[in-house]
Amino acid sequence: MRRIEKLLDEVEKPARYLGGEMNTLERQAQEGDLRFAFCFPDTYEVAMSHLGMKILYDILNNHPRTLCERVMMPWIDMLEGLRREEIPLFSLENRTPLRDFDVVGFTLQYEMSFTNILEMLDLGGIQVKSADRAEDAPIVVAGGPCAFNPEPLAPFIDAFMLGDGETVILEVCDIIRTLREQGAAREEILYALALIPGVYVPRFYTAAYHEDGRLASFVPNREGVPAAVTKRIELDLENAPYPEKFPVPYTQVVHDRIVLEIMRGCTRGCRFCQAGMLYRPVRERSPEKLFALAEKLVENTGYEELSLSSLSSGDYSCLSDVTKGLMERFQQKRVGLSLPSMRLDSLVKQSLENTAQVKKSGLTLAPEAGTQRLRDVINKGVTQEDLVRAVTDAFQSGWSAVKLYFMMGLPTETDEDLLGIAELAKTVIDCYFSVPKAQRAPGLRVTISTATFVPKAFTPFQWAAQDTLEEIRRKQQLLREALRIKGVTFNWHDGELSLLEACVARGDRRMGEVIYAAWQKGCKLDSWNEHFKFDKWMEAFADCGLDPAFYASRHREYSELLPWAFIDMGVTQKYLQLESERALRGETTPDCREDCTGCGLRRFEGVCAQ
Amino acid sequence: MKMWVVFSISPRLRHIGHLDLMRSMQRALRRSNLPISYSQGFNPHILLSLAAPLSVGMSGENEVMEVPLSAPIAEEDFQTQLQSALPQGIRVSQCLLKQDDVPAPMAALSAAQYVFSFSDDAQALLDKVPEFLAREEVPAVRKGKKGEVRFNLRPLVYNLLVKDGVLHAALALSEKGTAKPDILVKALSEMAGVPAPHYIATRTRLLDSAFAPLENR
Repeated sequence: MRRIEKLLDEVEKPARYLGGEMNTLERQAQEGDLRFAFCFPDTYEVAMSHLGMKILYDILNNHPRTLCERVMMPWIDMLEGLRREEIPLFSLENRTPLRDFDVVGFTLQYEMSFTNILEMLDLGGIQVKSADRAEDAPIVVAGGPCAFNPEPLAPFIDAFMLGDGETVILEVCDIIRTLREQGAAREEILYALALIPGVYVPRFYTAAYHEDGRLASFVPNREGVPAAVTKRIELDLENAPYPEKFPVPYTQVVHDRIVLEIMRGCTRGCRFCQAGMLYRPVRERSPEKLFALAEKLVENTGYEELSLSSLSSGDYSCLSDVTKGLMERFQQKRVGLSLPSMRLDSLVKQSLENTAQVKKSGLTLAPEAGTQRLRDVINKGVTQEDLVRAVTDAFQSGWSAVKLYFMMGLPTETDEDLLGIAELAKTVIDCYFSVPKAQRAPGLRVTISTATFVPKAFTPFQWAAQDTLEEIRRKQQLLREALRIKGVTFNWHDGELSLLEACVARGDRRMGEVIYAAWQKGCKLDSWNEHFKFDKWMEAFADCGLDPAFYASRHREYSELLPWAFIDMGVTQKYLQLESERALRGETTPDCREDCTGCGLRRFEGVCAQ
Repeated sequence: MKMWVVFSISPRLRHIGHLDLMRSMQRALRRSNLPISYSQGFNPHILLSLAAPLSVGMSGENEVMEVPLSAPIAEEDFQTQLQSALPQGIRVSQCLLKQDDVPAPMAALSAAQYVFSFSDDAQALLDKVPEFLAREEVPAVRKGKKGEVRFNLRPLVYNLLVKDGVLHAALALSEKGTAKPDILVKALSEMAGVPAPHYIATRTRLLDSAFAPLENR
């Protein structure tokens, strides 16, 4: 303990490693408890901003025989200190070494945090590769959106949970607790897990490849293991568990506020959006439920801000009732309301007025592409008129800062589409000056941010090629010049990280060897600019005899066997292909709340009943 | 009326920064439903003041916080309600009602008592305590706004005492002059000719100019 204290005196931001925050676990493990380490493969500030962890932490600790503690990726000074002092990575709550847990569970939110998983396992005294783990080593599980292409992590994770985690996580814990108590062998525990619906255990499947590197076959190698793994769906979101208290960090984190999940899933069908496909079907929580949860959360956390969360809050059917109701309830208590993820075409104005009563921040909108043609290709069903109306409303209501998000390198993109971004920026400026001077707030600021498009598994663009680095750089230069406009700031990222993200996002099992090699060469905290080592990653590819272009910038045929095709994630491959074909023809698909578009979710009983 | 809250921060939470502690206290007060006051202005915040910032890395035993009240409340009720809204590592030992004309705790603050617990062998350093006290001048350096400032540490050290290998110190802590714990350890180490050992310091009590506990005013 003294050695940990000494180390904490030496590192930057030691408050990251303290634990003991309000509403965190305050008991020690007892005989018969299943000890679960909830691991977030990024820093404390990122981890503590994540809603999924709060939900599952609450569920696990509400179970009488389960004890869940949090473990995050230490910053570089801390992890070097842990290695130097030979202190195993420990949990925040009871400072338990990672290797002493029964289950070590990672949430997979971002592909470029995968090397952190290897680092955390190693720091925690656990064999990095699944095949090397001792009988009594913790069972290493993972879930979250990136688990939908689990193959790049197949060498390291014992079992993946696919889809909504609320129910399956307890099923997994129950099996492990029961079989461990019976003294079952590790292999038998993993086999039992493989039989749980929605659970994928990589060791029971064999992948074979064509000479050109494409996947040739992917089949179970043990009897009884399902050939297709179907994702889990919490049909009844209204009654699904939701925490009434959140841990309240001492130190400031990225999203330091109450988050109220009003809805899960999105029916818009933007073709680049993986979350929009993965989280189907759409399910809502009722206003009454949300008011009750909000009352509890405000009372238990003392937070001064509450944010509504969903993939597309403007589509929530009772949005104005909920914003009005929350404002009325909490104005006295001085709780501010924020509303991210609003679409341009939804009723922005009234929500703006409600939220502005307490606090006025910048307005962020995401047209995603610069021309109508390209917005139709990606099925982002917003028009220039929507944008004009939204920003004019905002300027009239006293906003003067607007941020616009775009993607660069979308399928079929031309230079004309890119220059359309600059045209939109000029339109926004015109909208500002169209508001009488007395009415508008001074100091117009327009920020244009572009991200490099990364094709993702289980989207209509899963077959598409990513632009090469050279092409991305040329396009960035083009846009830089076009955006030299007074009052406009242009932000962009270098394409190297996006290239790797594309490799991992659509990687096969062999990509795991690249991740391992990169980690051995010192890659970790890749998503943090100062620690990203692109050249080491390229060396890792070369060492493994693999080509990044094969994964990132190669167009795939519809007939190709994709590494994630064994997963039934609800939306069918047939529908994704149909959407891909429509995209290339520039045809849009309407919101499926208007009319079922046949994505495949209706196969599940009780789904899309309305 | 206003309430003075006497509280402790456990060694486990000794790395919480001053601003983080302020924010945590504000959130605790919000959770407590106590009759607190808000500042005016565009982003109203809860009014409270701490007697003196606690350095990152130090725990505290009798820290003092002043909270202006918006309605009358009994001391015991305030203590119970606030305590139930605080995390395990922060304990309230006393709540004391004060008239509005009592100066803020930081105005009366003059010194503080500290306890130093050393991780490594620090005997050589502890042996220098009598010599330190016998001197009239102990040169030291602190970082000021315009670079390093040389000053005499000795008059800012009111007392030193070694008991069971633990160093107890009463050090000046006011606008007129402050002796920081790390500067004291550095000075003693230099006198002993040893590198400064690792230690964990606890601020055990805040004192007024008569060396009485601050909260008793």
